[in-house]
Amino acid sequence: MLAIKAEGIYKTYRSGWRGQRKKDALKGVSLQIEKGEIFGILGPNGAGKTTLLSILCTLLFPDSGRVSILGIDSARNGHQVRQRVNVSSGNANFLWSLTIKENLHFYGMLYGLIGKEREKKVEALIDLFDLNNHRDIPFDELSTGMKQRLSLAKSMINDPEILFLDEPTVGLDPDISIRIREKILALHKEKGMTVLLTTHNMKEAEHLCDRVAFLKAGEILTCGTAEALKRMIRIGDRVTIEYRGIIQEGELLRADGVINFTVSGNRCEIIVDEGEKRLGPIIAMLSQGGAQIERVSLGQTDLEDVFVEFAKSPDRI
Amino acid sequence: MNLQKALIQVWAFMVKNWIIAKRNIFTIFEILFWPVVGFFSVGLLTSFLELDPNKTGFILVGIISMSVIQVCQMDVSYVLLYDLWAKSLKHTFIAPVQPLQLIFGSWLIGVIRSFFVFLLLSVFSGLAFGFDFWRPGIGPLILFLLGLFLTAASVGMSVCILLLLFGYMADLAAWSLSSLMALVCGIYYPVSILPFPLPQIAQAIPLTYFLAYFRSFYGFDEGFKNVLGWGFGLAGLYVVIEVFLFKAVLHRARRTGMLLKLSE
Repeated sequence: MLAIKAEGIYKTYRSGWRGQRKKDALKGVSLQIEKGEIFGILGPNGAGKTTLLSILCTLLFPDSGRVSILGIDSARNGHQVRQRVNVSSGNANFLWSLTIKENLHFYGMLYGLIGKEREKKVEALIDLFDLNNHRDIPFDELSTGMKQRLSLAKSMINDPEILFLDEPTVGLDPDISIRIREKILALHKEKGMTVLLTTHNMKEAEHLCDRVAFLKAGEILTCGTAEALKRMIRIGDRVTIEYRGIIQEGELLRADGVINFTVSGNRCEIIVDEGEKRLGPIIAMLSQGGAQIERVSLGQTDLEDVFVEFAKSPDRI
Repeated sequence: MNLQKALIQVWAFMVKNWIIAKRNIFTIFEILFWPVVGFFSVGLLTSFLELDPNKTGFILVGIISMSVIQVCQMDVSYVLLYDLWAKSLKHTFIAPVQPLQLIFGSWLIGVIRSFFVFLLLSVFSGLAFGFDFWRPGIGPLILFLLGLFLTAASVGMSVCILLLLFGYMADLAAWSLSSLMALVCGIYYPVSILPFPLPQIAQAIPLTYFLAYFRSFYGFDEGFKNVLGWGFGLAGLYVVIEVFLFKAVLHRARRTGMLLKLSE
């Protein structure tokens, strides 16, 4: 069963006198997300990720197109949709002078939680997100990591069937980002909720998402599992060579199977179609050209490479 | 169950305004400093001008009414302003709340705070200027205060509507709308002395009628027929219209992206 179905979503922001300045944020985006799936929307800044997420969670209305959330038409029955979804954003903002506990109680009340039921829920979320030692601290005195945990806790207050995460780990230290990701995975596993997240962190998307969509300039370039996308784009493997001396860059570019390469200091990264097949001839060629090879490693490409390829050449697919 | 849910949502906005207000030093200024300073400034001016007791009463009714409306309407405005300043507006509107619950909850806390202001100033008016605010009796006083509270709800909702339409630059309205209304409604003078077309505009504002009603107990001519009917009729009409307008501008804010913009 589909959790989210979006068809032909267009959105243009207007500004200036009588809306004369226009910026197309989404140009006919369509996507379908299954129940229980973790779906990632990837894209550079300004690609339209937050706009798309905001439309799907009813914070923003599209100019045209249809959005169905859990089988409900969100344009007609936004109120019903809001009871069953929730949102957490990176750069979390909540009422400054309310403590963690008060903020959770406030949002609990907005979702209609009453008395002991709300008390129990708030306590459970404080425990779940390790907020106990900071429960009575006002929001504006919390660290960025704590604010982010509060944001996630708040987004779970109504046990949403769909959780929208907008850049959930942006600006966080790596160790806290890892903990947040683990938390998201654990929650997804435990509750079976559908998760839609936007990110420009490829590692995060690869780690969390069942499927991803690449969004660029308001259009979805492609959509699929990370593995399928890597196969689709066929950008091959990554050969990393550390060397002394010089590299004949012109020859390297003309070598069989070389798709691209970058040289930085005494390190050269080469993208080749088939790593194992091309490694020997490339090393031989570089050695003959005057380079003393010190270390060689062969690795697979990751989602980041796929993203870079899509970002620079959308016609590849 | 739905009624219970709606009531708890109303309660949420009351609690929110209450917690923020009690932790904010400026709240003390809002409910103690400014009303008291304004009251004594005007009261002492009436002493200096050696006005007769009726005219002193006329002016004190005006200044107290103004303070009550200002404090009450601020709470209604705060329901969006706090979220606006904290950039947390989207979290409120991603929740399944209706504008009516949001307004009603914040208005109730405004009623409590402004009633406290009224009590304080009515005691001061007796002690400092010998003016008995309670002379008309409890019934007329309740009707008068109810009129002021409804007027305040209407002003506060106007501020909220402007905020959703124009964003941050409209927060000035929270402090200026009620002052503008005071000018037209005859806080310190009868509306009959205003130049054209201000008396006609004053007739469209409920406060004009509530002031005329209460001042009539101190010997002043009401100036209009059926002042309470007009006052409550207009106040009720404006509240209903503004609830629909609030819904409409909220819809517009979701369409234009203002809701997101105010959360960034």
